[in-house]
Amino acid sequence: MRKKLIISIVLVFAMVLAACGQAPAGGGAAPGAGTAPATGNETAPPAQPPAGGPVEITLVNNKVEIDGALRNFAALYENMFGVRVNIQSFGGETPYAPALAAMLSGGDEPEIFVFEGYADYTAARDSGRLTDLTGQPWVSDTDMSFFDGQGRVVGFPVAVEGWGLGYNADILRQAGVDTSTMTGIEGMRAAFELVNSQLDELGLDAVVSMAAGPGMTWVTGLHAVNAYLALGLDYEDTTIIDMMLDGQVDETRLRHFAEYMDLIFSHSIRSTMLTGGFDQQLADFGLGRTAFIHQGNWVDPVFAELGVDFEMGYVPHAFLPENTPGIFVGAPSWYLVNARSANIDAALDFLNFMATSPEGHEYMVVHAGAVPAFHSVAIAPDGPLSRAVNVWSGRGQVYAWHQNTMPAGFGMNVLGPIFELLASGEIDVDGFVQLFTEAVASIGPN
Amino acid sequence: MSTKHGKHNTTFILFLLPALFAFSFVIVIPFLLGIYYSFTDWTAMTGTQVNWVGLDNYRIIFQDITFLHSFLATLSYAILNIFFINLVAFGLALLVTNKLKLVGLYRAAFFLPNLIGGIILGYIWQFIFNNAITAFGSASGLAFLEVTFLSNRNLALLAIVVVTTWQMAGYIMMIYVAAIQSAPVELLEASHIDGATYVQRLWHILLPLIAPAFTVSMFLTLVRSFQQFDVNFALTAGGPSGMFMGRALLTTEFLALNIFNTAFSFRELAQGQAKSVIFFLLLTVASLIQVYYNKRKELEM
Repeated sequence: MRKKLIISIVLVFAMVLAACGQAPAGGGAAPGAGTAPATGNETAPPAQPPAGGPVEITLVNNKVEIDGALRNFAALYENMFGVRVNIQSFGGETPYAPALAAMLSGGDEPEIFVFEGYADYTAARDSGRLTDLTGQPWVSDTDMSFFDGQGRVVGFPVAVEGWGLGYNADILRQAGVDTSTMTGIEGMRAAFELVNSQLDELGLDAVVSMAAGPGMTWVTGLHAVNAYLALGLDYEDTTIIDMMLDGQVDETRLRHFAEYMDLIFSHSIRSTMLTGGFDQQLADFGLGRTAFIHQGNWVDPVFAELGVDFEMGYVPHAFLPENTPGIFVGAPSWYLVNARSANIDAALDFLNFMATSPEGHEYMVVHAGAVPAFHSVAIAPDGPLSRAVNVWSGRGQVYAWHQNTMPAGFGMNVLGPIFELLASGEIDVDGFVQLFTEAVASIGPN
Repeated sequence: MSTKHGKHNTTFILFLLPALFAFSFVIVIPFLLGIYYSFTDWTAMTGTQVNWVGLDNYRIIFQDITFLHSFLATLSYAILNIFFINLVAFGLALLVTNKLKLVGLYRAAFFLPNLIGGIILGYIWQFIFNNAITAFGSASGLAFLEVTFLSNRNLALLAIVVVTTWQMAGYIMMIYVAAIQSAPVELLEASHIDGATYVQRLWHILLPLIAPAFTVSMFLTLVRSFQQFDVNFALTAGGPSGMFMGRALLTTEFLALNIFNTAFSFRELAQGQAKSVIFFLLLTVASLIQVYYNKRKELEM
């Protein structure tokens, strides 16, 4: 009797353990890029799913706002090719990074997921999840692919985004500001003064709509910092970011940058800047209370929702004495094809379809509201700031994105508070330069 | 072996197994794994080699000024929070154990905020602090209300205390209500007949009688204060920024939020894990001290 009981208990335990242990065993992954071969050069996915039941792939997305558009596109794809694409979106209240980490450590291996910066890239590389995408048909159609150290393409650019200092064209016209003069710090200062002297006539609360408070440090600690890292440099020039990673700053440049930030902060609506969130910042500009806004073209959908229809454009964040005509344009994130997932080929086909088919182009531009990263896309984006990005990048006047090359968390959590202190007036330009220099120096020794 | 006693023992153990099983898989094993990870360079990415790094993570976090600051901030918050929650909860409990009309309604109303999730509560109160109070300030001409409390480091900390007190006082109130109702009435009546005033009865009779409720309530509020995350995350997100030991940092970033940011903003999961171990030790020590002192105040009847 007792033996039977003990045996059955052991069996129950074994079953539970087996159920818990279904995650694939770790280890043994090849370092560097994955080894999955590219699936040749066909421009359309196979019309028939391979034998062995219908193929299903999963895409994990980090932008909840395009979830619906992505799902519709996935449904369309399933109708056309019989390959089911599950979309999982995380963001907002369910932050993407922890959610993805939980999925992966739970043994789920989505075929496609998003990575944003260098830290994400190294994590994916070290865990053997990168697939070499070099031979893919879309690679020659874009400048925004993510390359690994050996010159292989490992990331599919989700979109192109850009920002400068956004402006309300109507207000600047009334104020008599010629935006073509705003390509150096003198022109910027003159324009700010001109607008500032007519606040009442123009019905403005302040010159700029800026956010620097808690929760908004991505604007200051990442996007504003990129001006310091990239303005006026060639697209491939990484001098300043390389210095930063060595713990060094270019002091003259940093001082010019600090003075420019001080100029912006001192001409902003104070309550919005210090405690307002994203919505407040956009509302101030959208309702015509400010002439400028420090935001990128990803805010277009919000303006569409608010019914904002005035003409907008971008001027550079020209904080240097010399002329720097150009705005920051780059890819915010990339899709990778997970080398440890089951259906790599199906995932490659799906991305290929997205990049090369008219349906894919329509999804990216019209439904997801993105500036596409691919030259062959003929549809022009609709949002006012996206159009402004297209104008600058069409002229080739673009500077790079280096903010995601900073160590994870450094921009938002270490530099962000320093900007907030400058904005609130607790420190001045000298204090800002000093704290910024010390913070950068803390990266150095590693 | 097949004595009667032994047989019973086996049965007991069998009955215990499901609970033991659940406990070890949900608590014990993750806990031990967590301690193990704090000595490694774990990244949470399956497939990455996990290397033993000894005390490196602990060395880093003990030099981390933000961690030290978040400990001090949490401590100030916990002290204020324990005081205010218990004060308000006890006051409410006295109120709703009186013979009032609609006493059930009051109890439900005071308890209700506890049923709202901290994230939602945080956003609601953020709106109140940032928009409602400032709008009232400009309309009424009270200048000090025009600037939101959340932009001042001390007031922002107090704001979190206000919100969590509002949230938790009703829950702690229920514990006091239960204790007050089960306190022997004859002692209170006897002192009343002996001519003791209300304050004397409260201080010398009722308080000692319900001391065990204080032990429980203070323990609960202490633990909840140290573990504060959701309201902190949603209401202030750690802000505003301020200076501490020559560094700019988030002034209301409590321990749990600091650990979250270490793990998921800086992507230093192993360091976050090491901080969690320290956090666990701190909380254990704090609650043991609190229970020890509170227990001494309880009396045997």
